[in-house]
Amino acid sequence: MLDVVWQRLDSGARRSLPFVTTLVFTLLGVVAWPLPHFGPVAPPLGLIALYYWTIHRPDLFRPGMAFTIGLLSDIINFLPPGLSALLFVAAHQLVLRQRRFFAGHSFLMTWFGFVLMMSLVMTLEWLLLCLIRWQGLPFFPVFMQALLAMVFFPLPCWLLIRLQRMAFSQG
Amino acid sequence: MPVRPRSSGWVFVNAISWRMLTHRFSFILFIMLACGLLIFGRVQPMLVEGARAHVIDSLAPILDAIARPVTVTENTIANFKSYLSLRAENEKLVAGNMQMKQWQNAVVALQNENRELHTLLNFKTEPGLAYISARVVADTGGPFVRSLIVTAGKVDGVREGMAAMTGDGLIGRVVEVGDWSSRVLLITDLNSRIPVTVAGSGDRAILAGDNSAQPKLLYLPQDAVLTPAARVTTSGHGGIFPPDLPIGAVTDNGHGSYGIVPLADLGRINYVRLVDFNLKGGAFNPLAAKIQAEAKKR
Repeated sequence: MLDVVWQRLDSGARRSLPFVTTLVFTLLGVVAWPLPHFGPVAPPLGLIALYYWTIHRPDLFRPGMAFTIGLLSDIINFLPPGLSALLFVAAHQLVLRQRRFFAGHSFLMTWFGFVLMMSLVMTLEWLLLCLIRWQGLPFFPVFMQALLAMVFFPLPCWLLIRLQRMAFSQG
Repeated sequence: MPVRPRSSGWVFVNAISWRMLTHRFSFILFIMLACGLLIFGRVQPMLVEGARAHVIDSLAPILDAIARPVTVTENTIANFKSYLSLRAENEKLVAGNMQMKQWQNAVVALQNENRELHTLLNFKTEPGLAYISARVVADTGGPFVRSLIVTAGKVDGVREGMAAMTGDGLIGRVVEVGDWSSRVLLITDLNSRIPVTVAGSGDRAILAGDNSAQPKLLYLPQDAVLTPAARVTTSGHGGIFPPDLPIGAVTDNGHGSYGIVPLADLGRINYVRLVDFNLKGGAFNPLAAKIQAEAKKR
């Protein structure tokens, strides 16, 4: 009986790994790191995790999870609630439709896919925020953040690969 | 044509098709939900702000737990560096201490004189300042918003509109207060507007953030010519902040446009002091308390 309970708990923990890691990555992305002026250009770690899990475990990373992470991101980042939620759900759908193309080839292709998705999401976010606030927001920090995220991508990706292997290696 | 009777089999099939339908259209459902939230946020901003503060309150301990090892590591490195330069630092501190004692005597004398003059003129004094110290746990906003989340809230006496400072100068104001956490909007944020005075010329202006590291001085008098590096302080107008809180030094952007370089290093803030200028006595200001105690003795 106890074994069954443990088995279910273990299975539940493994199945919730994509959502939990995306949540932790989102929080890690806003922590006050001791790097000067890092906050405004900190890579969107939540978006990296979202991209990774949508490609590798779409069965465990549903649109509702993308919506929740996006909404949380809006709340933490003092953005209009629903903005990142909207973009994260759209990004999830976009990646899901193209996942065979992005994941089926080399890591470079996965990287390229992320750059495409992130550029689209961040440009749309900037555009929508300009429209919502009806003022021109500077684009340079957005560009810098995208550039940093592009360079930084392999590191969180490597961590996620390790986690995925640890959790799902036995199927 | 025979009519198929409704049975539990049909209910089962309907449930499956409903689930498939929901799954298929969940994308559209969540897109609509997000759009609905965006509209709701515009229509009912107060409700959204309240909910946001509650969520941040719940997340603050987690953010604190994540930020703590980072802070400990940073402090350990700083301590190690400090040990290396212990002797030189000590000499500097001894010299600084002697200078501070001279300043303290001068301040006490001036305070006494000031009080006597106030009494003579029947002058209405400004209430003292009280400080609430808080730790920064999150540097939020990404490329769009310049804000910090700090570990002090309503239970600590934080109120919306309070000034946020470091030891060097003003860094922003409290815009959102939860029970145990608050959000500080930095002076560099696009939505930050602060009435200021330029020391020396006495010109008044509005300090407006533009998401860059150097906020701009707007609505200066037409003939204003400012000296670069002149000190900029809060003017106290509009009742947003108390007067004379230091903010930064003037920098010339060319074409008659001026900005400021903040005194505080906004890219590296670990602790903030939230200033309550409506409280009397300045109970949390050790220097003010010491000066008052010495003045009483005399």
